[in-house]
Amino acid sequence: MAVLVDITKCIGCEGCTVACKRYNNLNFKAKPRNVKDDGNVELDDNRWTVIQKFHGEKNDKLRFVKKQCLHCKEPACASACFSKAIQKDEKTGAVVYYPDLCVGCRYCLVACPYSIPKYQWNEQFPQVSKCQMCSERVSKGDAPACVSACTTGALMSGDRDELLKKAHEIINSDSRYINHIYGEYEVGGAEWLYISDVPFEDLGFKDVSNVPVTSYTKSYLSKVPGLAACWALFLSGIAFYNYRVDKNRKSHDDDDQDKEG
Amino acid sequence: MSNKMSRRKFLKVVAGSGVLGFGVMASGCKGKPSGGDGWVSSQYEGKGNFPVNLKGRVAISATNPSIERDDEKCILCGQCVDACKNVMGVYGNYPLPLKQEIACVGCGQCVMQCPSGAITEKSHVRKVLDALDDDTKHVVVQTAPATKVSLGEEFGMPQGTSVGKKMAGALKAAGFDSVFDTCFAADLTIMEEASEFVQRLTKKKDEIPHLTSCCPGWVKYCEYFYPELMHNLSTCKSPQNMLGATIKSFYAEKMGINPSNIVNVSIMPCTAKKFEVGREELEVDGQQDMDYVLTTRELAVLLKHKGIDLNTVAEAEYDSVLGESTGAGRIFGATGGVTEAAVRTAYYLATGSNPPADLLDWKPVRGMQSVKEAVAGIPGVGAVNIAVCHGLENARQLLDGIKTAGSSKWQFIEFMACPGGCIGGGGQPKSMDAVEAKKKRIEAIYKEDTGAAKRCSHDNAEIQSIYKDFFGKPLSEKAEKYLHTTFVNRHDRLFD
Ligand code: SF4
Ligand code: SF4
Ligand code: SF4
Ligand code: SF4
Ligand code: SF4
Repeated sequence: MAVLVDITKCIGCEGCTVACKRYNNLNFKAKPRNVKDDGNVELDDNRWTVIQKFHGEKNDKLRFVKKQCLHCKEPACASACFSKAIQKDEKTGAVVYYPDLCVGCRYCLVACPYSIPKYQWNEQFPQVSKCQMCSERVSKGDAPACVSACTTGALMSGDRDELLKKAHEIINSDSRYINHIYGEYEVGGAEWLYISDVPFEDLGFKDVSNVPVTSYTKSYLSKVPGLAACWALFLSGIAFYNYRVDKNRKSHDDDDQDKEG
Repeated sequence: MSNKMSRRKFLKVVAGSGVLGFGVMASGCKGKPSGGDGWVSSQYEGKGNFPVNLKGRVAISATNPSIERDDEKCILCGQCVDACKNVMGVYGNYPLPLKQEIACVGCGQCVMQCPSGAITEKSHVRKVLDALDDDTKHVVVQTAPATKVSLGEEFGMPQGTSVGKKMAGALKAAGFDSVFDTCFAADLTIMEEASEFVQRLTKKKDEIPHLTSCCPGWVKYCEYFYPELMHNLSTCKSPQNMLGATIKSFYAEKMGINPSNIVNVSIMPCTAKKFEVGREELEVDGQQDMDYVLTTRELAVLLKHKGIDLNTVAEAEYDSVLGESTGAGRIFGATGGVTEAAVRTAYYLATGSNPPADLLDWKPVRGMQSVKEAVAGIPGVGAVNIAVCHGLENARQLLDGIKTAGSSKWQFIEFMACPGGCIGGGGQPKSMDAVEAKKKRIEAIYKEDTGAAKRCSHDNAEIQSIYKDFFGKPLSEKAEKYLHTTFVNRHDRLFD
């Protein structure tokens, strides 16, 4: 499943961002972590998607751009994750994060060419956070929450090949559009595709290579799961050791502390 | 959970997750993906590509001077889109991609329709409280006619209770230095506008049809969508701004106050007024006529903050020089009111005598019908065809009709953005039965008119004296300077 974003149709209502927060139960009150010089808010652990405004210096037309994970066909984040906490779901195409598998190494944050995954720095048991393409909705046949909230036709979901065909049709029939579908080939292609009448570089899009990042990392990372398993065993060993020490000392302070929680 | 944790417990947890992680990985089970544990309402289920149901929401720019939204309260119900599109004819009525701005006329009908209270006016309450606390400032307040028949609802009074005098008393108790009546300025507007209309009828025929301009929502709509009709708009400022300009000139002079120390506050049923006060075209000698606008709802908040209960507060009269009003000024708050008031005075200007009884109780222009038509027989001028329109989607249909026909069968058209006129404004108290509330408020307004000692603007003694002492006569040079304005073509902000 893929989503086509037609930037020329977006009115900046941010209904999509509200739908995302509602569906994923994100915190509305959290202050943005990163406000850029141009006033635009960046993604963070409570903002899996944001609308960024572009109007001024480079671009005299008022444009809004929805930003979220692009759900790469060859996701660098997933290949960087040795504990398989990020996986490409073959059925829906969504690049999904499984918190139970995450060890908190944050390699995915570094690996993503678009700096999409964010970390819950304020949580006691932090998770990585990023758009999940509403994988559970999508596997039921629903559109992603954000797509379903868009009333202007700026967001369309469907089969990737069909959306690509549609995107090409739109570009060919309307000379205002730039002849480029962002996401068609970028780092090997993505499920989220963008078309626009303003050059992508003026709208904050990164100029990335068409070669998937994963082609560099695969060979190295294939060895990582073994390492991870050793690490888990090591930690378990420590825990067992502690447990023994504990038992021997017959102290109750630990239980008291536990009850505070 | 407390934020403290023993080292041991930490290790247990880490080790636990290590074992779990290993186990999970080894078994090939992934656990639950993150996200998806919130709630979206049912219209967002099912294959979601628009159009399906009423949903989505209007765009509100961060710089919108009239309204703002609290995302946490928004349930994406789509009611604001319904108001903006189907009642106000704004949303969806201009092409995408956007050009320079998101169209909003500031009417606040989305505020009225938003069921969760997510959209509100941009509050000026704090600023007004600060001005009241500032001893160097002379804070003047004026109250619009439609607020006098609605403020009571915020204090539990029945719909349609007239609370003008109580409001004046409450404002004095709240510490405003003078309390003036926008109805006085409505009479002033009628003097100017009726004179202008008679002049257009007889001399400047290319400016017919005469379109009223006291509603800032409608004016902005005209500038956005019908710039070719801008020269038909009455050049009169709205009553609010006429009074503001008069306070900072005539009143300041009379009282010996430096106009820059005056803070002009208005109590309005309207959110578009918050946009209007910032319009550069209204400035006189680089100075804004008005400083802050409180909606009826905001005034209730301010009074409650100060511990003033409208039910028990002592009644007071409006302050003199800018406080007398006639029945004509009071009916401005209802759809058709401006027309009826203007016709009364136009009749007088043309004939030298007051209109007959049927023009003082002019049924055809009253009521909630979306477009009302009437003919006024004015001796010497002839039959004047009049239309009264409220709700901007109705305005769109009416104006498109004129465009197609190539000419207007009406010489005078009144436009009010909000359904019912200002009594149904976007700053008014909300109620469970908005239709009934509007009906009751309209009844109350016409009761104030019939109960008034004077029914026509030109009979207002304070109006007569202000022309004698300051403006000279309607449309004089001085009147043009303070009481008239120009408009801005906003068409290319939305269209190619
Ligand atoms: S955009 Fe970044 S986070 Fe999303 S799938 Fe691609 S690499 Fe992973
Ligand atoms: S697809 Fe789902 S998770 Fe991703 S931005 Fe849209 S609503 Fe949020
Ligand atoms: S819901 Fe649609 S129109 Fe509104 S901001 Fe999101 S993408 Fe743009
Ligand atoms: S204030 Fe009026 S014009 Fe503006 S968004 Fe609301 S309904 Fe639309
Ligand atoms: S009416 Fe209010 S709650 Fe409904 S979509 Fe609009 S802003 Fe959100």
